[in-house]
Amino acid sequence: MMRKSLTILYSLLIVAWLTGCATVETPKPVPYKVMPGGMVVWEDEIEFKIPPREWKLLRVEVGENDINFGFMRSDPGGFPSVTTFAYDEEPFGCSAASFEGREREFFKRFLFNAILQFQILERKKVQVVGGEGLQVDVEGKDPIKGEKVRARVVFGKRGERIIGFYITQWRPMAGTYDLSAFEVFDKFVSSFKYLKKSFYETL
Amino acid sequence: MEGHERNLYLYDRFNARVVGVSRDDVITLKYFAKSLGLTFPLLSNPTGFLGVSFDTLVEGRPVFRRRTVIIDKTGIIRYSRDGSPDFKDVLLFLKKLNQEGGKK
Repeated sequence: MMRKSLTILYSLLIVAWLTGCATVETPKPVPYKVMPGGMVVWEDEIEFKIPPREWKLLRVEVGENDINFGFMRSDPGGFPSVTTFAYDEEPFGCSAASFEGREREFFKRFLFNAILQFQILERKKVQVVGGEGLQVDVEGKDPIKGEKVRARVVFGKRGERIIGFYITQWRPMAGTYDLSAFEVFDKFVSSFKYLKKSFYETL
Repeated sequence: MEGHERNLYLYDRFNARVVGVSRDDVITLKYFAKSLGLTFPLLSNPTGFLGVSFDTLVEGRPVFRRRTVIIDKTGIIRYSRDGSPDFKDVLLFLKKLNQEGGKK
C-alpha cells in the first residue's frame, strides 16, 4: 500500500515538473507576420520586403519604446567581418527642420564607441518612404585596431519626425567590402511602407 | 534628453514646458546642451536641493535617481516615474492633462 502511494506521489511530482518545462518553452509572440510575396508586416504598422535567408533578425532594445529592428549577416573573412542594417524610428540627434542638420548631429554619435575617422564618400537626395530623403555614404577607419567600416545612412520623414535607415559593414583594414549587401539594404529601404500613422502623428 | 528635444513641438501643443535638472555645474551643462543641440533649460543644482525635494536621493549614496516629474499649472505633482523616461507615456499624460485643463 505504501509503495503504491509513493508511486502515485512520484508520478504527480514528475507531472508537475513536466508542466513546468512546458510553461517555460511556450513560444513568445513575434512582432511580425510574413505575407505572401516575401513581404513582412511589422507590428501591423510597417511593411517591407524580407531580406534573403542568411540575414538574421536583430531586435534593438533601447528602452524608449520606439520601433528599432534590423538584420545581421556574418561575412567571410577575419574579425570584424559582419554586416548589419536597421530601421531606426528615432536616429541620433534632434533636428527635424532639415536632413542636413540631423546628419551633422547623427554623425557625432554614430558608432562613437569605435572612435573612427569618418570620410564622406557620397551625399545625395533620394526618395524614401514616399517622400524626399537624404542618403550619406561614409567610410570610417580605426588605424589603431586595424579595422574599417563602410556605412550608408538614409534619412527620411515620418510625419513631422526624421527617421533613419543605416547599414554598416565592418572589415579588417586589408579586407574587401561586399557591396551586394548594400543592394539588399537598398531593396529593404525602397520596399518600406507605413501602413498607418505613427504614435506621434495621432497625438 | 534628445528625446525631450525631439518632442518639444508636442509639449508646446499640450501647453507644457520641459526643464532638466542635474548636479553638474553650469559650464558642464552648457557644454552638454551644446553637444546635443538641446534648446530647453537645464538647471544646475550642485547642492542637490531639488533632488532631495523630489525624494530621489539613493539611500546611502550621494547620487540621485533619474526621475521624470510632471507638475500641473497649480503646482501639484501629477506624474512621477523613475528610470529612463517613457516618452510615449509622458506625451499621453500631457495630452490628457491639457484636455482636463481646457475643460476647466
